[in-house]
Amino acid sequence: MKNKKQRSLNVLMNILLILYAVFALFPLIWMLLISFKSDTEVFTTTFLFHPTLANYQEVLLRSDYVRYIRDSVIVAGGAVLVSIIVGVPAAYALARYNFPRKEELAFQILSYKFAPEILVVLPLFMIYQKLGLYDSYFGLIWVYQLISLPLLIWVVRGYFEDISVEIEYAAQVDGYSWYQIFFKMLVPLIKPGLVSSALLAFIFAWNCFTFPLILSSNKVYPVTVAIMKYLGTDSAHYGQLAVASTVSALPAMIFALCIQKHLVRGLSFGAVKG
Amino acid sequence: MARIQLENVKKAFGKVQALDGITIDVKDKEFFVLFGPAGAGKTTILNCIAGIMMPEEGLVKFDGEIMNLTDSAHRNVAMVFENYALYPQMTVYDNMASALRSKLYKTDEAEIRERIQWAAKIMKMEKLLERLPSQLSNGQKQRVAMGRALVRNPSVFLMDEPLAHLDAKLRNSMRTELKEMQANLGSTCIYVTHDFMEAMALGDRIAIIKEGRIVQIGTGDEIYYMPCNEFTAQLMGDPEINLIDAEISGTEEAYTAKFSLNGEMVACSLPQDSGVYAKIKELGLKRVDIGIRPQHIKYSFEPQDGYFKTTVYSYESIGNKSVIVTDCGDKNHSQLRMIAPNGLRVAIDNDIYIHLEMDHAIFFGSETKDYIVRYDEANYIALAAAQEDE
Repeated sequence: MKNKKQRSLNVLMNILLILYAVFALFPLIWMLLISFKSDTEVFTTTFLFHPTLANYQEVLLRSDYVRYIRDSVIVAGGAVLVSIIVGVPAAYALARYNFPRKEELAFQILSYKFAPEILVVLPLFMIYQKLGLYDSYFGLIWVYQLISLPLLIWVVRGYFEDISVEIEYAAQVDGYSWYQIFFKMLVPLIKPGLVSSALLAFIFAWNCFTFPLILSSNKVYPVTVAIMKYLGTDSAHYGQLAVASTVSALPAMIFALCIQKHLVRGLSFGAVKG
Repeated sequence: MARIQLENVKKAFGKVQALDGITIDVKDKEFFVLFGPAGAGKTTILNCIAGIMMPEEGLVKFDGEIMNLTDSAHRNVAMVFENYALYPQMTVYDNMASALRSKLYKTDEAEIRERIQWAAKIMKMEKLLERLPSQLSNGQKQRVAMGRALVRNPSVFLMDEPLAHLDAKLRNSMRTELKEMQANLGSTCIYVTHDFMEAMALGDRIAIIKEGRIVQIGTGDEIYYMPCNEFTAQLMGDPEINLIDAEISGTEEAYTAKFSLNGEMVACSLPQDSGVYAKIKELGLKRVDIGIRPQHIKYSFEPQDGYFKTTVYSYESIGNKSVIVTDCGDKNHSQLRMIAPNGLRVAIDNDIYIHLEMDHAIFFGSETKDYIVRYDEANYIALAAAQEDE
């Protein structure tokens, strides 16, 4: 009796989950389908069409798409790298040391994420023009810190706070110098948080649109902005557009799938204090 | 191995003065116990010796050499932390090997293995070596923490309540083990505890700490028999010492102590003792606090000469003996504790007749709460001196 009830409940749950999966994945699947359609068939709503690779050829071989991807990798990857180099020591300091206005500083860092990008981007544009940072890798990497740094600092700080300070003392007494302690004892302990937050930061930076749209033009062309190129002034090549989006979404998806198990645990572990 | 000295060490956390002028001199190869209530500053003293904390004032010396500016890695101390401080990502084996693998104390792997096996055997944890700390119980973690210190060959062992989380049986056997081990290793050891039994059993000498100050330093017996004030007397001994607020009257031939018991004043003659009588006369003592250990109160269920009537407040068995607490209705000494054998039929609120063996009394000033004199003082001074010499 009980078994039967449980089984029917399981079936129901699975049906609901499948429904949700279809709902959530449909836009992606639709995008994938469009990428195989020719321009004439783009608007057919049935699933019947003549698949073609013409769009892929056009985008990947006959345009600068690879360069756009490379720019995105440089900018997003660089941003995460800088965030790690700056953020981990900052998180350590916020977790371990007491200094005046510590909490205010931590909140200030978090608040970078509050303002809508569009609000700050215009003043930034003027400043960047004056400083010569406009349309440069460095400029974008810098501005991406607004996105990646707060996330990384707050997650990693939680991890540092969870490590009892006596562990550092014990390692000192055991004859290790501070740098040895940091790399041998502490880094392994914060690794789950560091990896997951760095990955999330990478995805956010990769997906960023407003900043590169306004703050870069010809020399640095991240893929999010470049996709717009396939929207011509008089004609929209939806097929090519779909190819460009599909390929640009791939790295984020692959990363997320690879570490999805650690991603959730990594981000929630530090936040839940016992 | 080394002689450890602290000279007038002061350390404050914000407005709290954690250490307020600590001076101790731990001899080479001595087992030195820091004993005191929670929050007295015992752990802070260890941290200052280990170099984890910098005292604001005062000197830390190892073998006469000033170590204040030496970092903890170079002090060559082994410390057992109260919360174990094991490295969570390493197995028990790697935890224990960590000091011996550091650049400073590099040892070859074969010897590391040998020493870890040896320590694991003593700590009865040979089977745990491949586990991670998260897979251990608190008692096991504590043993690993001990083991991690034991594999080293440090100037001094610093142990912060290393037995507190072990179960009672293991704690007792470890206590014996530890004392013997320390004697064999010939190492200096500074040991923090708030357990009176541990302090007495282990310490060559004990320092009583209260609110960041040293109250008294001496051998266990010295402190037990001649506590320098009421605080120490209460701390040393379980059940706690009885303190009776009494008035002294009489002449130098025969003094009597009077105190109130259930609202009545009762008198108890003080037996002849040259030391005690001389002190009473010299200081012209009128009011004193008389300290009597629980084992020096006799009881009877029938009225007897020299026995005073009280009522039973509680009767509890503490293993091989029991403690009777009686109610005496006075605001200063409302309850008296005494030791009785197990298996008595004692009902709460029954009458019980008690007798105070005044010839074991310790006298404290009723205002200052400091030690004045005790019975048989010369004897105990001689005992303490003999122990110091050992």
